[in-house]
Amino acid sequence: MSLSVQAAGQTDLGCVRKNNEDNFGYDTRLGLFVVCDGMGGAAAGEVASKLGVDTVLTYFREASRHHHYPVVGDTFEGVSVRANALASAIHLANQAIHETGTKSEGKRGMGSTIVAAMVQGNYLSIAHVGDSRIYLVRQGSIQQLTNDHSLVMEQVRRGLITREQAEKSEMQNIIIRALGSEDSVKPDVEDLVVLPGDVLLLCSDGLTKHVKDDWILGIILEAPDLEQACNDLIDAAKAHGGDDNITCVLVKTVQLPWYKKMFNIFGGNHRWQSST
Amino acid sequence: MAKLYLKFDAAVLKEVALTQGVVTIGRLPDNVIQIDNLAVSGHHAKVFWDQDHFVVEDNNSLNGTFLNNRRISKATLKDNDVVLIGKHTLAFKDEWHEGAPGAAPEKSGPSLPKMEATMMLDTKKAKEMMAAAQAAAGAPRTGTAAEPSPVEHLEPPAPPKDRMGMLTVMEGKTDQKQYTLASKMSVIGKSDMASIRLRGFFAPSMAALISKQDAKYYIASSEPKIKVKINGQEIAGRKELNEGDIIEVAGIKMTFGYQD
Repeated sequence: MSLSVQAAGQTDLGCVRKNNEDNFGYDTRLGLFVVCDGMGGAAAGEVASKLGVDTVLTYFREASRHHHYPVVGDTFEGVSVRANALASAIHLANQAIHETGTKSEGKRGMGSTIVAAMVQGNYLSIAHVGDSRIYLVRQGSIQQLTNDHSLVMEQVRRGLITREQAEKSEMQNIIIRALGSEDSVKPDVEDLVVLPGDVLLLCSDGLTKHVKDDWILGIILEAPDLEQACNDLIDAAKAHGGDDNITCVLVKTVQLPWYKKMFNIFGGNHRWQSST
Repeated sequence: MAKLYLKFDAAVLKEVALTQGVVTIGRLPDNVIQIDNLAVSGHHAKVFWDQDHFVVEDNNSLNGTFLNNRRISKATLKDNDVVLIGKHTLAFKDEWHEGAPGAAPEKSGPSLPKMEATMMLDTKKAKEMMAAAQAAAGAPRTGTAAEPSPVEHLEPPAPPKDRMGMLTVMEGKTDQKQYTLASKMSVIGKSDMASIRLRGFFAPSMAALISKQDAKYYIASSEPKIKVKINGQEIAGRKELNEGDIIEVAGIKMTFGYQD
């Protein structure tokens, strides 16, 4: 038996914003899932987040076709080739956004967060920059796998303020790492493990600033399928303000019997989706 | 209750509840509100209670104290006043005059629109703000007061002090006798992704998983047919590990504990 993935993704304008600066994309054949939350005025935010998602997906599509994962930017020691490939793709996305941002007048200062996950069998690698998050729902519990690169969470990590103060702070919107803001970026990367039945959630802060962890857990556990869970999460965020764009990508690992696995090998049942 | 909010740009670095004592403001660490910036004098200004109102007074500072954009030497503070010192502002909020005393103490922040659009700080500015926050919180720092605080340690952040879990193998074939559970997830099995590596032909590739969350450790079997026992009791789902627990899985027996 081996693990296979099911996925669903959804993005929503929210109740206040006039444009959606979030983007997501995934490809179950690659086991790759990405969410980006863009920023920067005059439509620059959605350009940045779209560039982020597209660059990472393209990197892995090309790389898997040529069986070669080119190294871009700094590599990390003590992590897998998979995790370093995520880092390379993120470095590439940063370059793309930074260049576009410095070249075109109207897009100056644009940037984006990114969360990316790669699932291959039991192996899970994650990478992120900014305050978008990845959660793991396993056996009835929820765990945040990423640490926000935000000013308030940095202060929490240093013991300057408490988590409760951070949640009330007016500086929550300030992030200290982003794609595109400088010519290089340092993502956090990590190698982890998935078990059958695990659910991963990749989401933008439009979800997490309104819907707390326990509530996210409840929604995911109660929903009949992943599509419904995405919709329910977005509805929950909108019911509590929805002042930002909301994006969720859910990934579930399932154990397949051998005959279904054969079906997958011969090309069936793979899914990819992109927000735009 | 009246409060002062120390701000840099839109960011609140510190809030100080005003009592009848004197709140001193300046660059040096002996001030109640320390602003570690060269534009700020050592003892720059103070805020204190005078009979029935709060007063801000400049201490003959070099660069001056500004109240609502006018340079002052001494002035009465009223609700929503903004005091500018160097590049930092102090917002004065007098909630006592706003309504019922004690009403909604949780929402005592200045009435800025919350949740604005996400903005990013470049590395330099982020370091400045972290330094300011650290100074405001009175966190221990090195270096002298005259030079900007050293903030090279912004990345990586100081690791939070949590206890590290450990496994000691009592029975069974494993590649080591003792394991430190440093990572967020540790696999017990024969697979090459396992950190607690089982030996032997019949060992399962993945038997169980120990995960670390908020300085606590949990164990779960990786598939239903593999049984995990804690202190002789078979577990269902995931279970928190406590110091001294005896774990039995896939023919090995080990104890869980914390490193000193």
